[in-house]
Amino acid sequence: MNCQEFWDTMPELEGRPGVELPLHARECHACAALLDQQRLLQAGLRNVAAGCVRLEAPARVETRLLAAFRGQAGMPGPPSRRWWTPLAAWGGATAVVAAAAVLLFVHERRPAPQPLTATELAALDWTEGWQEEGDAEAASGEFIPLPNAARLAPNEDGNLVRVEVPRSTMIALGYPVAADRGAELVQADVVLGSDGLARAVRFLDE
Amino acid sequence: MNENPMTQAPPDTDDELLLRMRSGDQQAFVALYRRRQSPLYRFALHMSNSATVAEDVTQEVFLALIRDDCGYDPERGTLSGYLFGIARKMVLRRLERSRSDVALEPDGEESDLVELVCNPDPLADLTRKEGIAALRRAVQALPRRYREVVALCDLEEVDYAEAAHVLGCPIGTVRSRLHRARALLLDKMHQERSPRSVGSLRPVRCWI
Repeated sequence: MNCQEFWDTMPELEGRPGVELPLHARECHACAALLDQQRLLQAGLRNVAAGCVRLEAPARVETRLLAAFRGQAGMPGPPSRRWWTPLAAWGGATAVVAAAAVLLFVHERRPAPQPLTATELAALDWTEGWQEEGDAEAASGEFIPLPNAARLAPNEDGNLVRVEVPRSTMIALGYPVAADRGAELVQADVVLGSDGLARAVRFLDE
Repeated sequence: MNENPMTQAPPDTDDELLLRMRSGDQQAFVALYRRRQSPLYRFALHMSNSATVAEDVTQEVFLALIRDDCGYDPERGTLSGYLFGIARKMVLRRLERSRSDVALEPDGEESDLVELVCNPDPLADLTRKEGIAALRRAVQALPRRYREVVALCDLEEVDYAEAAHVLGCPIGTVRSRLHRARALLLDKMHQERSPRSVGSLRPVRCWI
């Protein structure tokens, strides 16, 4: 066997350092040296492999795959909470506290009810009664009775409160409101009866 | 009292675990995943040199197994080989997408040069940390078709027959590629130890 035939057998793929050399390598020093290098390389590759043996996919991969497996098998998910559950709880609580603070602030800034003036009483037009719902165009600038609210009796004392309400509330009283302006705030005068209940409203900014 | 090891039931084979998994046994899936994920992750890591890619590939391999959309046939090979085959395809797809396949070129790190000039035998320190790191870099710099066969056969100790199944080629091709890959690695290691900038000079002692 000559050197070419020897290497055609790929001897480096077999055996390890220290293992007896094949017959040709025992007779050919050049091939023996080269084969020894190949075996050293193989040992080095085993060291590379040993240095990586503890490498593995992060635990989150198993978690995701388990979820996928349960989904595929039609199994219910784990009882553990989703990641956003605590965030949602805290967010909700914060929103409630913020809403309460805003209401308190608004309440404190809300002007005290003022007695109706003669002009306002005239605008209410007690003698003609409440205008029909949906007749808002005719009621522009005038008080509009709130649906299902009792009339203000002729001798009943009334109070007037100025508030800000979303423009979308005007829809219920028959006003046309563009969809993109529904969230705007508009000022309104609300007539309160002696019982404190709202009876009529007048929008100041239509 | 300790249980006699001789009476312990042998661990389930991959195929047995797969059967149980297919019938909805979650424990079987977990056992199969824990048995096979690490070699797949390492193979993808050796091929891509990216922990992110390795993680994604490992996940996609098992997702394919869960969905059973790749058609594993025990008659054609082992489950391990089948999983390596999927991992290989996914890695190659990513390498092609990112065009991150690197050529066999010296990376020219200066920190290596000093050490290499002083060390005449590149293979003598393959048991040392620096030598192992240099060899790892050399493997990652191999062309893809040689890198994958080294990663499979040398680093993950997959036998030639299984490697042939994974790569979709005859066993003879696996051997010839491995033969060529090792020659390239030796060449690479010698090249690193003999930088062009210093030619054949091999200082044995540094006085300053």
